[in-house]
Amino acid sequence: MVEETKANTVSFTRRAVLTAAATAGAGLAGDAFISPVDASDTGDDGVTIVKQLAGRTLVESDRIHLVMPRTFPNGYTVPLSLEIDCPMTEADHVRNVRVFAPRNPLIEVVCFHFAPRRSEPRVSTRIRLAEPQYVLAVAEMNDGALLMNKTWVEAATNGCA
Amino acid sequence: MFTPTPRVQVPSVAAKGEIFQVKALISHQMETGLRRDPQGDVIPRKIINRFACRYNDIVVFGVDLHEAMAANPYIEFYLSATESGRLEFIWEEDGGHTYALTHQLTVG
Repeated sequence: MVEETKANTVSFTRRAVLTAAATAGAGLAGDAFISPVDASDTGDDGVTIVKQLAGRTLVESDRIHLVMPRTFPNGYTVPLSLEIDCPMTEADHVRNVRVFAPRNPLIEVVCFHFAPRRSEPRVSTRIRLAEPQYVLAVAEMNDGALLMNKTWVEAATNGCA
Repeated sequence: MFTPTPRVQVPSVAAKGEIFQVKALISHQMETGLRRDPQGDVIPRKIINRFACRYNDIVVFGVDLHEAMAANPYIEFYLSATESGRLEFIWEEDGGHTYALTHQLTVG
């Protein structure tokens, strides 16, 4: 029925990603000492993990507008709206946008696919959040560039339990 | 057993080139596979894992849903009215079951 590429069947658990990150980073241990940014729980905004997942350089961009409430009374249905400044022509369009919640037990949230001249890069939905964290949106443009933006959300209850 | 019910809100008439809003919702518990029942057994994952919107048989918008989507997943998106025709909305559940709705759009 539904064609197009099927969603990745591999689920990225936090543990799997961190283990991979630790292994891959072994050769760069010197780096890790210089930069306090690590993949552990302390003070990480999740960008490191998402970079591991994306496998390419992320450019923080204000073309992506990720709007979520700063605080929300429950973690089960946290509203999310997303808009990307983009003309959606053949030459300049958004292929897809992925949303990550790095401190959820499973960090991938959703991926939206768009078509040039047919759909606008503008969506709203509701997601679950386990704890206060940065939620990240990563847009893949037609030239392969990955644009990223993030927003801090504090959900008062665990929506993943 | 709970039967998921899909619903959409789409205009029936649109001007050519107009951007119109689509609201799509399916009542579905979106069981994450992370919970356990009172006996301590894992409740198997059962979520809507994919949603697609086809406009005259061309996929114009698609979503891959993961465990962190809220129950009763609601998706609001925007399409460009290119020509009159049929809009088809398809929700695909774990296990392969699909739910679908169609809508006729007149562009004039």
